[in-house]
Amino acid sequence: MATLNIKSLGKTYPGGVTAVSDVNADIADGEFIVLVGPSGCGKSTILRMIAGLEGITTGDLQIGERRVNDLEPGERDIAMVFQNYALYPHMSVRGNMEYGLKNEGLPKDQIATRIAEAARTLRLEEYLDRKPAQLSGGQRQRVAMGRAIVRDPKVFLFDEPLSNLDAKLRTQLRAELKALHQRLGATFIYVTHDQVEAMSLADRIIIMNAGRVEQIGTPMDLYLRPASRFVADFIGSPAMNVVEGTVTEDRRGLLVDGSRDIRFAGEIPASAGAKVAMGIRPEHLSLDATGAAQFHLEVDFVEQLGADTVVHGKVSGTSVPLAVRLSGVQQHASGEVLELGCGADQLHLFDLSSGQRLN
Amino acid sequence: MVENRPILTFLTHAILIVGVLFLCFPVWMALVASTHGPGALSQSPIPLWFGDQAWENYSQLLAGGLPEAGGVPIGMMMFNSLIMALVITFGKIVISILSAYAIVYFRFPFRMGFFWMIFITLMLPVEVRILPTFDVVVKMGLLNTYAGLTIPLIASATATFLFRQFFLTIPDELVEAARIDRAGPIRFFKDILLPLSRTNIAALFIILFIYGWNQYLWPLLITTDESLYTVVMGIQRMVNSGEALPVWHYIMGTAVLAMIPPVLVVVLMQKLFVKGLVESEK
Repeated sequence: MATLNIKSLGKTYPGGVTAVSDVNADIADGEFIVLVGPSGCGKSTILRMIAGLEGITTGDLQIGERRVNDLEPGERDIAMVFQNYALYPHMSVRGNMEYGLKNEGLPKDQIATRIAEAARTLRLEEYLDRKPAQLSGGQRQRVAMGRAIVRDPKVFLFDEPLSNLDAKLRTQLRAELKALHQRLGATFIYVTHDQVEAMSLADRIIIMNAGRVEQIGTPMDLYLRPASRFVADFIGSPAMNVVEGTVTEDRRGLLVDGSRDIRFAGEIPASAGAKVAMGIRPEHLSLDATGAAQFHLEVDFVEQLGADTVVHGKVSGTSVPLAVRLSGVQQHASGEVLELGCGADQLHLFDLSSGQRLN
Repeated sequence: MVENRPILTFLTHAILIVGVLFLCFPVWMALVASTHGPGALSQSPIPLWFGDQAWENYSQLLAGGLPEAGGVPIGMMMFNSLIMALVITFGKIVISILSAYAIVYFRFPFRMGFFWMIFITLMLPVEVRILPTFDVVVKMGLLNTYAGLTIPLIASATATFLFRQFFLTIPDELVEAARIDRAGPIRFFKDILLPLSRTNIAALFIILFIYGWNQYLWPLLITTDESLYTVVMGIQRMVNSGEALPVWHYIMGTAVLAMIPPVLVVVLMQKLFVKGLVESEK
């Protein structure tokens, strides 16, 4: 168990491609950190740099009090769980779990105790003498976790560990992982491209885009106050509505496709004539015309989900698509015009060119 | 294609049986001939069934050797062949698995250059490079030694290439997991790579053992000392035994004896061999 400090970490490959640049993060002892982002954003590279499988080009990496930039993976006191499990196919489950401990030179009785304990935690007791090929995907992933647990490392690293499993198992193992984290109280760093996984597991999320950190914060920080348009887009399902337009002269409206339908209750923090993107989550729109932003929606079609109703349509007088999530069963016909509004906290304004948050 | 017509079934079986007869007839003849006395094979008709001299022929071959072939006992020659085949086999496997390990898992200058150098030697079988190799062996004073008999045949591009291809199919994550588990290069090789290569090693063992056992030209060149003769050479020397009539019953007996070790290796290791060729265990 230990803190992890990442200082202006960067990775440039010999060919000149920069995979990661200037990443800073201070991770507290026992925190569950999820690195999330689209494929190719550098999240796995960061994880592999922490593991020591990838060299660090610039910056510093500290685990506990120790600078580990130049240490071998085996010397960093970390354990890693891979997406494709990476179990040794010729060894039994027990063999897989004890291999690292044997290499450390731990006494036999201690190895046995640790394996028994991990097997009990992960419900693998009856499989200890089987080979990985005789196990199901979920069991294999649990063995991979067991291999990490027995080493009792300072930091656990997970590289998309649930991606190869089917949806049901994924949900189940996600819950097990969360429970495991609470039981062990160790520092977890977890890479995924799935925002639901990130939201449900993380204490804090590091969201990455094109090799840079977009935002670091708790899941609710990211959901309620996304720092950039990218974060706003990435977190939340269905995705956030984003309407691009020009701020009107009085700074109380948004000119979209020549329509002045969108009105704000107060002046918005952008200069007149500025190009901005307005974001509102579908679940934050309501059918009352008071609120920070008010406008009309022409209904195209309605999705009934039982608990919710998602109404799809266009901002009145424009061709900009928009979705509204209303609770319960609601009937709306195509062509109907709805008056919509949202709260001041739920209105996000982003600069159109930089994508940075304005309000 | 599943067709069930009696004529076709009959035809296919007939063709197969004829093929098997063609293949087996020489072996049969060798077996039969080795059980007859000296005269029986020089006159027609050649006997097609076993004679009564089996015991005499084989005990003479194994114990005393033949005056016509320099009097070297067959047992001695078999032993030489066995040594040669085993040293070549183990040497080839050890060297090629180590060089494949180096080429696949280590980044060193001119790595690909070395790989291509090894690969190019595939185009140079023993027969092509026999004169320079002979020259080197002479200058190193290795004529008439086991070392001279085996070492020049040990380097093997084929086996190196085979192991390289197999190593490339092992997922990188396995190497990384091993690194995290504190396995250094030697541990990784011993604990992970060797056990995973088991079936490949078995398949190579069979192929290389037979290759080594059947070497003919090289031992012929490199040995003049009778105590180093191999059995394959021995057969040839018996056939060319000067003016005298070839002693076919002894020659065939030697041939039968020479066949036994490769057959044993194939039969005993067949299961692993097939496994190694068709599947790469993941």
